Amino acid sequence: MAQNQRPASILDTLGEEIVRIITPVSICMLMVVILVSILSLDDSSSSSAMPTIATIAYSETGSDSSWDKFMGALLNSLVFVAVVTAVTFILVLLFYLRCTKFLKIYLGFSAFVVLAFMGGEIALFLFEKFSFPIDCVTFLVILYNFAVVGVLAVFISKMAILVTQAYLVVIGMLVAYWFTLLPEWTTWVLLVAMALYDLAAVLLPVGPLRLLVELAISRDEDIPALVYEARPVAHHDSGSRDGVVRRRVWSERRNVLHDSGGDVNSNAILSGNAGSNLNSGVVLSVASGHNDTRLAGAEEGRVVEANAELSAPLIDRRMNDNMHRQEEDDTSENLLLEGIGLGSTGAIKLGLGDFIFYSVLVGRAAMYDFMTVYACYLAIVAGLGVTLMLLAFYQKALPALPVSIMLGAVAN
Amino acid sequence: MTVAAGIGYALIALGPSLSLFVAVISKKPFLILTVLSSTLLWLISLIVLSGIWRAFLPLKSTTWWPFALLIISSVGFQEGLRVLFWKVYKRLEDTLDAFADRVGKPRLFLTDKMQIALAGGLGHGVAHAVFFCLSLLTPAFGPATFYVDRCPQMPFFLISAIIALAFVTIHTFSMVIAFNGYAEGNTTDQYFVPVVHLVAGMVVKSAFARCFCLLSQKFSLLRILFLIVLKNCQLSPETALVVFVWLNVLCHACSF
Repeated sequence: MAQNQRPASILDTLGEEIVRIITPVSICMLMVVILVSILSLDDSSSSSAMPTIATIAYSETGSDSSWDKFMGALLNSLVFVAVVTAVTFILVLLFYLRCTKFLKIYLGFSAFVVLAFMGGEIALFLFEKFSFPIDCVTFLVILYNFAVVGVLAVFISKMAILVTQAYLVVIGMLVAYWFTLLPEWTTWVLLVAMALYDLAAVLLPVGPLRLLVELAISRDEDIPALVYEARPVAHHDSGSRDGVVRRRVWSERRNVLHDSGGDVNSNAILSGNAGSNLNSGVVLSVASGHNDTRLAGAEEGRVVEANAELSAPLIDRRMNDNMHRQEEDDTSENLLLEGIGLGSTGAIKLGLGDFIFYSVLVGRAAMYDFMTVYACYLAIVAGLGVTLMLLAFYQKALPALPVSIMLGAVAN
Repeated sequence: MTVAAGIGYALIALGPSLSLFVAVISKKPFLILTVLSSTLLWLISLIVLSGIWRAFLPLKSTTWWPFALLIISSVGFQEGLRVLFWKVYKRLEDTLDAFADRVGKPRLFLTDKMQIALAGGLGHGVAHAVFFCLSLLTPAFGPATFYVDRCPQMPFFLISAIIALAFVTIHTFSMVIAFNGYAEGNTTDQYFVPVVHLVAGMVVKSAFARCFCLLSQKFSLLRILFLIVLKNCQLSPETALVVFVWLNVLCHACSF
């Protein structure tokens, strides 16, 4: 083809990071839609069988009037958001008291529970539906191995990135599927409530998520978190990079997409690149792994002093929150951090909570009709794109939920 | 309609677009984003149109002119949207060129521009196929299939799949032709696109009147379109060959 002889034009690589985030989100949504359409249970049976934290205030039955349902759903969501806020504050406190070890263990534990128990139950549903012959022992062995590898993938940063990404998508999918089992009104009001909470928690000065990230910055530490990190785009030239957006931006940064005049360099691999871009604007030097923050921190410090434009390039880590368990006895909650941000290698990071809520929205739409799914999917992807653009533009911490959820709810 | 048949119909409608996607578009992330946004745009235009027409529906099916009006207005609206798309694209092109200059890479080549147009058209086509064909398929799984009185030789779903395929092709390539026409100021090209769109729409409206005749008309139209595209663009030979063979096969299959 003629193109092979030409130098590569910008069209080849523009927008790559965005696509790398949109792909796993799409995969997660697709799997949830497939699960929902295969295992379509009717609402009444599932909601009555499972008293959960999200329905603690009100259990929806089919016979209530619309207003009752709405008030009940509102009450449920308020309780849920309140619990999530409380737990986020507890997490901030724990992080402040440097109980990082505890948090990491908790992270591993929650990942194990999600994969083993939720994954196991969904697998059982599937086996029932398809009359798949499998015996107990085999099933338990496979499930146990699957869960353990998942925990390791989440825990250890040196795992092959594809495995980590796959497991994060699976975790998001499982939790999202369980959320779609909530009664209808509760789900929708909950989505909107979480979007508003996300907005508040990230943008308000007293918001727990903002506090958390500020703590992380001031200490140059990692927050153990369940976040999806897109594979970084490797650039061989240290020239400007396109499209890399930063979420919780604490440094001045000009993004090339908006013609702001500065060149952005987001070469995010440690050492050498850190110092080389003083003239061109921002440096996003981030550690290569979760454990190498100190190294990057030192360099960032240098860079910060040297160039007035830069402030501490940050490694956004987010708290890992899992959504409330659906099982009654499990009272421990992990909260999921919402928000998009920049990963340790300069790639875009998206909190797992975003995955989950997008998929819940699409999964709930799948219970109606395929066309709503399609429309909602497009709306969510558009919202995600808009959020990324806004991120690049404002360079502040931005919650990823609100735009997409609003668009998705409207599209529904 | 069994699941296998359903998948078959879906592939008939979306097969070439899928191969186009994998061969051309998936290599360049920007094109993927273009496809997504043009799909969204088309969807929004459809929603707006249906909002406007909601007041007048349902139409009595005995007279033909309300349907014609419906089609003319929708086609007009979508062509207007295409012009809007073109304007947005011009601005985008300027931004991209400026960015390329800053980065030190070459400006957009002609093939790049055509690829963007192709991606835009593909987005429209896929949206059309999904909404007008796949939406019929998904609720219809289960035993038995459905035939329409006026065309008893083929199940309804097959007809809708083939028509969706035709529209995908029309949308995809008319975007390329239109952009080329606007860029070069070539008025024949510029007017060719809406005319083809309108004719196709009208042909569908008189659908099921005469099955095979209709379909072969459709595909002859497509062949002309395709030849014009080939004349103007420089699609990669493989893609061009694939799509051309597809069209020919379908033409012959429908006109036996």
